[in-house]
Amino acid sequence: MAKVARILDGGRDDGVSTSRAREIAEAYLREKGWNVDVLRLAEIKIAPCMGCFGCWVKTPGECVIDDAGRDVARRVVQSDLVVYLTPVLFGGYSPELKKAVDRLIPNILPFFRRVKGEVHHVKRYARSARLVGIGILPDRNEEEAEIFETLVRRNAINMHAPAVESTVFCTTDIEETVVRRIEWALSEVIA
Amino acid sequence: MTESKGCVLLLAGSPKPVEESGSAVRARTVIDGLEERGWASETVHLQTAVASDANTAELLAAVDRADAIILAAPLYVDSLPAPTLRALERIAAHRRDGALDQSARFVSILLCGFVEPSQNATCQLILERFAERAHLEWVGGVSLGGGGAEAFGKRRIRQALRLIVEAIDEEILLSFSVDELTEKPAMPSWLYVVGGNAMWKKAAKQHGAEERLRAKPYERPIA
Repeated sequence: MAKVARILDGGRDDGVSTSRAREIAEAYLREKGWNVDVLRLAEIKIAPCMGCFGCWVKTPGECVIDDAGRDVARRVVQSDLVVYLTPVLFGGYSPELKKAVDRLIPNILPFFRRVKGEVHHVKRYARSARLVGIGILPDRNEEEAEIFETLVRRNAINMHAPAVESTVFCTTDIEETVVRRIEWALSEVIA
Repeated sequence: MTESKGCVLLLAGSPKPVEESGSAVRARTVIDGLEERGWASETVHLQTAVASDANTAELLAAVDRADAIILAAPLYVDSLPAPTLRALERIAAHRRDGALDQSARFVSILLCGFVEPSQNATCQLILERFAERAHLEWVGGVSLGGGGAEAFGKRRIRQALRLIVEAIDEEILLSFSVDELTEKPAMPSWLYVVGGNAMWKKAAKQHGAEERLRAKPYERPIA
């Protein structure tokens, strides 16, 4: 059975375009035999997480807000690979991607445990998806690229991703560079 | 009427109402300290500010009026809540495009639900980048851990918040002492784990969900 990759595309029409990166990632994964599901988050109405913890203590495993955020969380659980594709904003994710990521906390348990000297939440599901972060900068900025890569790794710890990789490129980079970076990041985790 | 020394703007980044937000309550201590020194203050709830164009315009006007800005926010998955990011994106765009006749000083107060304040570090870097992009003067970031629990650290945190008041009022950088006062977890991590896990069970029990705490509603069907 083909493995499933979900691309959470945090781009939007009036900002830095993610379409070229999305097409490259999608084509590469399909070539490797993966089923690819693209979620264009700017087109999906997802209410912001309220920080109420209802998804942990009232309706465990499911957000109390009944909207598309639930569907995104379900699809992420039922994935082998999740790709966070986003314009880099101050070194982090776009609000479009973040509104979906914030709604993923039902997928972990509220309980704490110590992991490598830090407290983190416990897994809810036996299997978690691998994670790749693809960030797009409007101009070259090593500092923001480094923050982005750290953020993706920190997210992987919190969401229990068994493998993680990330890459950042600029809108001014030539096609060959963009393709090479995206394919490298994906190949590192799907091998 | 006495003229104020300046205007400090509290940007409340939690989706919760300001008075119920742990990060905003701590920032309020700083605002109170500044008011005692003759500052005026304003507060904007960022999730409300990005809910309509009119609200966003009010936010941007408040930013332009401010001499100092304190962002108080909870840590959401290693970063800021999505509406807070959206508000910061709007502020940065506004200040990039507009006339900048004033550069407000900017302080962040982050509160994470893990016991280690250091887990806010990546988000503080994001905020430092925001300050630069928005042409605000980065004074420093204060990282707090343990959610609302400060069993053994209340005095240290109060001292740290007082240092923020001094930094803003006296136009100096945030003292390294703030890091020293806040970097240590408020309690041992084993205690946080044991106490926290008991708290989650109790909360679920109150909602009749104790037996379902480990439910897996999205488990992938077996092929």
